[in-house]
Amino acid sequence: MDIARRNNVAVTGNPHGRTVVLAHGFGCDQNMWRLTVPALAEDYRVVLFDYVGSGRSDLSAFSENRYGSLHGYARDVVEVCEALDLRDAVFVGHSVSAMIGVLAAEAAPERIGALVMVAPSPRYIDDDGYRGGFSAQDIDELLASLESNYLGWSAVMAPVIMGNPDRPDLGEELKNSFCATDPDMARVFARTTFLSDSRADLKSVRVPTLVLECSEDAIAPREVGAFVHRAVPGSTLVTLRATGHCPHLSAPEATNEAIRGFLAGLR
Amino acid sequence: MSPLKITTRDAPTGPVLEIFGELDYANAGELRERIAALTLQPGQRLVLDLGGMQFCDSSGITALIAARSHVQAARADIALAAVPANTLRILRIVGLDQIFALHPDSDTAIRS
Amino acid sequence: MCRTGQQPDPHDPYDPHDPHDTGDDKAADAAFAALLEDSAEELYENAPCGYLSTLMDGTIAKINATLLGWLDMEREAVVGRMRFTDLLTVGGKLYHETHFAPLLRMQGEISGIALEIKRTDGDRIPVLVSSVVKRGGDGEPLLIRTTVFDARDRRAYEEELLRGRRAAEAARGQAEADRARLQDALAVLQQSLLPDTLPSIPGVETATHYHTASPDRLGGDFYDVFPLDGRRFAFFLGDVCGKGPKAAALTSLTRYTLRAAALHDPDPVAALTTLNKVLHERYAGSGDPRYCTAVFGTLDPDPATGQLTVHLASGGHPPVIVLRADGTACFLPTPGGQLVGVLPSARFTPATTVLAPGDTLLLYTDGLTEARTGPDRTSLYGDEALLAFTAGHGGKPPHALIKALTGLLDSFGDGLDDDTALLALGIPAADHPMRNTR
Repeated sequence: MDIARRNNVAVTGNPHGRTVVLAHGFGCDQNMWRLTVPALAEDYRVVLFDYVGSGRSDLSAFSENRYGSLHGYARDVVEVCEALDLRDAVFVGHSVSAMIGVLAAEAAPERIGALVMVAPSPRYIDDDGYRGGFSAQDIDELLASLESNYLGWSAVMAPVIMGNPDRPDLGEELKNSFCATDPDMARVFARTTFLSDSRADLKSVRVPTLVLECSEDAIAPREVGAFVHRAVPGSTLVTLRATGHCPHLSAPEATNEAIRGFLAGLR
Repeated sequence: MSPLKITTRDAPTGPVLEIFGELDYANAGELRERIAALTLQPGQRLVLDLGGMQFCDSSGITALIAARSHVQAARADIALAAVPANTLRILRIVGLDQIFALHPDSDTAIRS
Repeated sequence: MCRTGQQPDPHDPYDPHDPHDTGDDKAADAAFAALLEDSAEELYENAPCGYLSTLMDGTIAKINATLLGWLDMEREAVVGRMRFTDLLTVGGKLYHETHFAPLLRMQGEISGIALEIKRTDGDRIPVLVSSVVKRGGDGEPLLIRTTVFDARDRRAYEEELLRGRRAAEAARGQAEADRARLQDALAVLQQSLLPDTLPSIPGVETATHYHTASPDRLGGDFYDVFPLDGRRFAFFLGDVCGKGPKAAALTSLTRYTLRAAALHDPDPVAALTTLNKVLHERYAGSGDPRYCTAVFGTLDPDPATGQLTVHLASGGHPPVIVLRADGTACFLPTPGGQLVGVLPSARFTPATTVLAPGDTLLLYTDGLTEARTGPDRTSLYGDEALLAFTAGHGGKPPHALIKALTGLLDSFGDGLDDDTALLALGIPAADHPMRNTR
């Protein structure tokens, strides 16, 4: 199988530098890193990819069974690393991808030598004594949002939807395309993301780890960042003065500075 | 495909139905309905004039048998007139030539 | 447009303030101007959509009265105190953080996103949200301008559409499942009308073929071969009138009646007479005459001579063909045999023949001879053509004859619009190895 094509892999930056893999989270695709890549490209070799079911990945490779678990997404990461024969790469994962990186590093320790967790959360749903920030009903609301926005985009096509269950391929024309994945696959990713519980996996991390949290994150509250920091042995926690869940977009300079600082400190 | 057309006239001996077109699976039911709706007096004779019939399959034969049952129930009589050669051949194969009175034309069928 | 404070030009003939104008025109113009002057602020506050301006971190800096009215909130409680995401449901907040905000950051604008806003009383209003980023002179993002449209009607319509689509999909799934179940049932039923395998008869080869005209309509042709006692075998082949479930019921009744009758009295005329009684009693007087035509026979092999004596009788069925080893073919006439089930006492015509090695007996239903041929499909294939075709296969074993006839049926294409059953029984010539085929 052509993994590079399946996961829409792009390699850029300094071919002699250490490899940094940038992994998008639930929602959009590798375009999320467009303000990060320029800050790393001079010194590092940068690998970008889309998880199967997102962005411009090969949607025909999607299976609800595989991607119904974070391990399925972690296999994407490992397979991308294998396809490029990466060794000791730095894995930068946003949001749920930070947890996917933990699983990938555990599965292929020789491939991943360090982790950067951007706005991570190992558990989104409130649990006995743990505050993830959300309830199971909130996640159902998100799924409804995904559905209504898929329909919203194509409401002008309503007669077509009714008459033809095959979805019109609007990807190219829609401005919102890189966040507009197939709603069925987005639903699977959303469920896998928001219903997962990776708290127990954190303690197995054996590589240098940077935890980047935002000062005001609507999805991952400060408690969650502190929890991850405590759980990952020897991790570094940096709190960015940033609002929202995507500091690499809303506070790119501070985010890039923190990542570069961490990379420079690795042996 | 020519559709089935049925005309009815009353002779002194009873009704005469002239059948035109194809008597097959698709429209043999129409003939059966027409005949089932006929009221026959005892001793009357129903004449089916098949001179204009272009095709008759097993459904058509069934309709003829149903016509005979209906007529017998009314203690009346049935005769076939101007049976086309191919239909006559089928009637012979299935042995119905022995139980239907066959006449060269409807006039003969009325008179005899 | 607004000319307040401007001196009219007396030389401008189009100037509405020209002193030659009437007083009425002046008054109308002033009213219009006043309307327009009033409109900027008025339009912002009371526009038929919500307006919202936020800082880049989402803090609400400005909000119009329309949106405050929808939210049932006071301006003081909102401006500088709430973020845009505070107005959303939790699910909407998640969607905002994972889709809306990244897209807005990357594109500088986003339009037509379906979200829900929360009123103070907890009610929700479906809205469509569009935002643009306003940038400073140096391209630095300064604030986000957002419009919010009431989408209650539209969302209701969309939900109606979704419900309709789900219902249609469910109905389609159900219909497909029903159809598959029906097909399965029909296939099982059809199989029950024909034997799975034919018994092997010492020294005799049997071969059959069944052509189904339509997979949806149960066919009305049938055949069977079965042992009578240690030595003799019986066979039959026929055609019931009509198609579909009622015809299938008749076929089933016919097949099992003939089998039972033959065990009681294997004489062919006796077996058909029993069948006639059963069918007549079942269907006469029902107003729906049902009948069949059939050939029933017995096979009596003589191991000493290698010959096979065939006794048969026909009830209104086309005559069977006897194909001799030397290539002569003839009908075995059964004239006057009447169809089975219509008359209280029908007449059946017996016939007898003896088959020697290389001879074959062919039974068929009229789907074969009544096939429409010719370029315009108006002529019938006919008895004589069948006889000539069969003669061309003299001396060949039954399976070869059936294979040739199957090819003939295929060549009729859509001219073959009826079910057709073929049964060939024969003694293969010494130079042909024997086999039994279906």
